[in-house]
Amino acid sequence: MKVRTLLVGLAVVYCTLVFGWTVQASDLGLFEGEKGTLKIAGGTAHIPVMKEAAKRIITFNPDIQISIAGGGSGLGIKQVGEGLVDIGNSGRKPNDEEISRYGLQVFKWAVDGVGIAVNPKNPVRSLSKAQVKDIFAGKITSWKQIGGSDKKINVYTRDEASGTRAVFWKKALSKGEISSKAYFVVSNGGMKSAIAQDPNSIGYVSVGYIDNTVAAVSIDGVAPTLENVKEGKYKVARGLYSNTKGEPTGLAKKLIKYLLTPDGQDIVADKGFVPVK
Amino acid sequence: MIRIYEKLIEKLLLFSAAVSASVTILIFGFLVILGLPIIKGGHFFHLLTEPWSPYDGMYGIYPMVIGTLSIAFLGVLFGFPLSLGCASLISVLGPKPVRRFLKKVVQLMTGIPTVIYGFVGIFLLVPFIRELFQEGSGMCVLSASLMLAVLVSPTMILFFIDSFDQVPKSYLDAVDSIGGSRIQKFLYVILPCAWKGVLTGLILGLGRALGDTLIVLMIAGNTVQVPGSVMDSARSLTSQIALVMAADYESPEFKSIFTCGIVLYLFTTIVVIGVRTLAMTRRRSRP
Amino acid sequence: MNRIFEKLLLCFAWASGIVLVGSIAYIVGYLIFRGFETLNLTLIFGDTKPVDALLLKRQVFEGLFPAIIGTFLLILLSVGWSVPVGLGSGIYLAEYAGKKVKRTLNLFFDILSGIPSIVVGLFGFSVALFLHKHYSENIYPCLLISSLSLAVLVLPYIVRTTQVSLENLSPEMRLTAPALGATKLQNIFYVLIPKSLSGIVSGVILAIGRCAEDTAVIMLTGVVATAGVPRSIFSNYEALPFYIYYISAQYSDPQELLRGYGAAIILLTLCVILLFCAFVIKKQLAYHVLYRI
Repeated sequence: MKVRTLLVGLAVVYCTLVFGWTVQASDLGLFEGEKGTLKIAGGTAHIPVMKEAAKRIITFNPDIQISIAGGGSGLGIKQVGEGLVDIGNSGRKPNDEEISRYGLQVFKWAVDGVGIAVNPKNPVRSLSKAQVKDIFAGKITSWKQIGGSDKKINVYTRDEASGTRAVFWKKALSKGEISSKAYFVVSNGGMKSAIAQDPNSIGYVSVGYIDNTVAAVSIDGVAPTLENVKEGKYKVARGLYSNTKGEPTGLAKKLIKYLLTPDGQDIVADKGFVPVK
Repeated sequence: MIRIYEKLIEKLLLFSAAVSASVTILIFGFLVILGLPIIKGGHFFHLLTEPWSPYDGMYGIYPMVIGTLSIAFLGVLFGFPLSLGCASLISVLGPKPVRRFLKKVVQLMTGIPTVIYGFVGIFLLVPFIRELFQEGSGMCVLSASLMLAVLVSPTMILFFIDSFDQVPKSYLDAVDSIGGSRIQKFLYVILPCAWKGVLTGLILGLGRALGDTLIVLMIAGNTVQVPGSVMDSARSLTSQIALVMAADYESPEFKSIFTCGIVLYLFTTIVVIGVRTLAMTRRRSRP
Repeated sequence: MNRIFEKLLLCFAWASGIVLVGSIAYIVGYLIFRGFETLNLTLIFGDTKPVDALLLKRQVFEGLFPAIIGTFLLILLSVGWSVPVGLGSGIYLAEYAGKKVKRTLNLFFDILSGIPSIVVGLFGFSVALFLHKHYSENIYPCLLISSLSLAVLVLPYIVRTTQVSLENLSPEMRLTAPALGATKLQNIFYVLIPKSLSGIVSGVILAIGRCAEDTAVIMLTGVVATAGVPRSIFSNYEALPFYIYYISAQYSDPQELLRGYGAAIILLTLCVILLFCAFVIKKQLAYHVLYRI
């Protein structure tokens, strides 16, 4: 009698353990038994997703080490091409020249938009495309001209290596000029915090980064929200890519695979981007 | 046996001295070799006067040269009177407890990391300047040079004190014996005797300001333009290296940062040679 | 007229003293005021158990532990590279070099000490890239490259403090041992160096402080935002000063910004303690070791 209870008990415990384990490890199981280091660099929009994925992977398997650096899409593509990192992230699709020169493999795991943001204290919430172009070109210089207070506009931009800049420049500014008076920041995170601090600022940032510390601005009446990006209404959209030199191998392959699993896509959605699956 | 051992050690010491000194040349060599494509094309001086506009194929660093010079000179301009005042207080004018306290503070300041000045600058000085002048974002030449003034002051103050202390005691006794006040002692005896030391300290401060990266990178706004006023944002040569470095390294942009490196190297070398020349004449003329 | 001028000047001196002390008190006070509440174990270890983190069983997320370890390793390695070479060069300059050689080498070290740290970083990065292309695919900007670059940065301080401490010894002390039959080398290692040890050590401590605080060199040579505790000298790593820089520009929530304040307080404390140690060991510090002919 006693033995039987014990056996049943053990069986139950065993089942829960096995079952619980498999449920918890369903997608992370990819990394079972792996070890080594994985170097990631490039696009700054990717960082929150990469960080969360790394956190889960390393918690699951502490033998793996993952280093994540920013630097911008241009840097990511060049560094992976030169073999300095294993995965180079970019917020724009690498161009044909880059792909053929380095033999890049391109993996898209999320869709993102690039939205215009202003300080929440600023009443302006909507601009026409022409106004946007004029503001960034430095032709409109006061908030008063577009329905705000009588303050000079502080334009913030990103450096040339930025994929966010490349997409915004092409799709929102139609390759128009960016004022030489613009302030420079080095990442999406940097853009968000600069705008949050400066009441007269305007800049562009990955939609995934927009929260209540900054206010999003609609272009021609379409707001840069996740829904509008998903439905294709918001035109200044782009994919988030991870690139490898040649066919990905080892940990790089598994990380990219993981990002495309339901777990990985949950992280993507959780960090404010549109999943691709 | 012992002789061979001694010779061997001497050679080893010579070797380490040669290695460490050659690093100085090696750095310059690397900058020149990697910047060679630009220098060879005869573009070096061209780049110094051209604007920066990568989309138009112009990689000039003129705005950054001006940015560096204006921020550094302004920083020293703010820092110099402050330092001279503090140094005079520490070595002559102040009562003893004040002197000792102030000197300790200044010495401790030399240990404060630059990144901390930058960090506090972003959250304290930049909003303050923005609210005060109601113009721009507060990230400007003025903010950066004010912070730089705080950064370079300890260097200058300690050097000033040092040169004040080298004024012969007999001179000071002479002033005391004719009943001169402390301020008169400072103004008419110490300062004229120690002016070369003051100049040296000033140049050293300038060298420190020219080479700083973090403060300028964090609070000058990094705009690529020749600043028209102190309220304008600017980019320095050092920030240019840090920012473009974060870009890629096949491009002409990347090659141009070696020009920045060469210019910075030359600036600071000129400063060092200036200081050494002054020190040499100072030593000769010392009574 | 002169009297008024003198009085004004006196006022100015006092005012500048007050401004300097005031601004520094404001800067430090602001940091402590904003960051004081974060100073606890969570700041360093995040949600990880301190024991697990210290035994490297679990990686720390949302904590300063990897950055602190990174800075610590960086100091250890850089000082490890630069002290032997720096001591050797300093001894050679003080005891062996002829007048002409000494003058030339002094000039070199002065120039080296004046080179902006970002240029040293650029040098380190170019060397890494050069080695990657021409020597081994496995070399890229990493802990090793950073520590070597930092070693170059602090080398002149160590060389010059060693040299000046040796040169400042009295001639009598120099002559005693040789008079008793000691060789030059014995004299240097058994008499002169022990006597000037305090100066040399204070120079090394200053070099440590410089390694701990420098940001420009490491941001070009392998420091990254997230890496965990480095497993080897060929890994990327985190460091305190870079963490502060990184957070200042791109904190994503107030909690993260607070960690930036915490990191700033820790780094400041570390640097001030180091400086204080250098003072205790040697009163007259190494500010004027450079630029001597």
